[in-house]
Amino acid sequence: MSKLPGIQHVIATSSGKGGVGKSTVSINIALGLVQKGFKVGLADVDIYGPSIPTLLGIEDEHPQVLDNVLIPIQKHDLKIMSMGFLVGQDTPAILRGPMITKFIHQFVTGVKWGELDYLILDLPPGTGDAQLSLAQNVPLTGALVVTTPQAISVKVALRGLRMFEKVKIPILGVIENMQGWATPDGPSPFRGGKSLSEKTGVPFLGSIPMDQTVAISGDQGQPLLSAYPDSEAAKCFKQIVNQLVDQVNHKSAPGDLGGFKWNLKSGEGAPKTREEANS
Amino acid sequence: MKTFTREQVTPVGMKPVQNGIIIQWQDGSDLEYDFRGLRLACACAACIDENTGQKILRPAMVAMDIEAINIESVGSYAIRVLWSDGHSTGIYPFELLRYVGEARLERLQEQAAK
Repeated sequence: MSKLPGIQHVIATSSGKGGVGKSTVSINIALGLVQKGFKVGLADVDIYGPSIPTLLGIEDEHPQVLDNVLIPIQKHDLKIMSMGFLVGQDTPAILRGPMITKFIHQFVTGVKWGELDYLILDLPPGTGDAQLSLAQNVPLTGALVVTTPQAISVKVALRGLRMFEKVKIPILGVIENMQGWATPDGPSPFRGGKSLSEKTGVPFLGSIPMDQTVAISGDQGQPLLSAYPDSEAAKCFKQIVNQLVDQVNHKSAPGDLGGFKWNLKSGEGAPKTREEANS
Repeated sequence: MKTFTREQVTPVGMKPVQNGIIIQWQDGSDLEYDFRGLRLACACAACIDENTGQKILRPAMVAMDIEAINIESVGSYAIRVLWSDGHSTGIYPFELLRYVGEARLERLQEQAAK
């Protein structure tokens, strides 16, 4: 499993539980990276419920196919590919495990991404075929875990986090979405993101407050960071993106063996040895 | 299974030896694996019963001169081996490899002490 040609970093956004705003987070992180001057692609691999086309107002777009390769849609200086472009918006994608594996592979290698600094993969919720096949076939730089502040979401997110640990995918950080809802007695008592980070030793990248601008921008098909750049939530996203870039630079230190396909008869494709690595 | 540190289950190198391979780990140790022992350690669903955890694969079923034809990485957590008997469904996570390698070394040391 060697690096994808032309793509520097592949980052998966995951959550255990559904409905925590994973796609919104993916979009705004992607856009935050664009605003920092990076070349960014966004692949919506939530094949069951692709929501990125709706959130970005590009539901009616149809990507072209050139030499069996899909051309991503360009919007907001992002390159975007989604299952939503391939099946109708209201048509469910009913797929068995092996098909999911195939689609995900196609979304990463069968799309003309060109040169990218970052490719953000918006995963479906859970710990199923999609996550496993990514772990086995796509050279991920790392994963982001999105949770809401409540214990129920933290609990499921923890399971997702453990899965990434098992397959040795570095976790770049925890992001807490929908933080807020003050009570009569004071600020919100929920601190799920922070507790998940403390429990696992994974860096806490920040919280995004319950902010009407997040929902409004989504319904308008505009990413928050371009529609309401001065909102509280947008500022939080920018801070999270800064932290993410730090984490990526920190994590991509070499150390492990990388991908190889070793023919023992001919010796072709042999992985490196300790001696070679040290020389 | 025993728990290992990150350095103990992160390979930094591999090389071929007579009838086997050596995996070099980040903690500085080099562990040797003979092909037949590695084939017998296969933990795939055809070799180990998924429900009971009992071994389906018997030593008598594996030729003495079995060899690995091809070894490839699986993500960043395991390797997959294509064997000369055609078997290729086994995925060997690095934890399992560390465990198998240490167990083999201990066995050899015990035999040498006798």
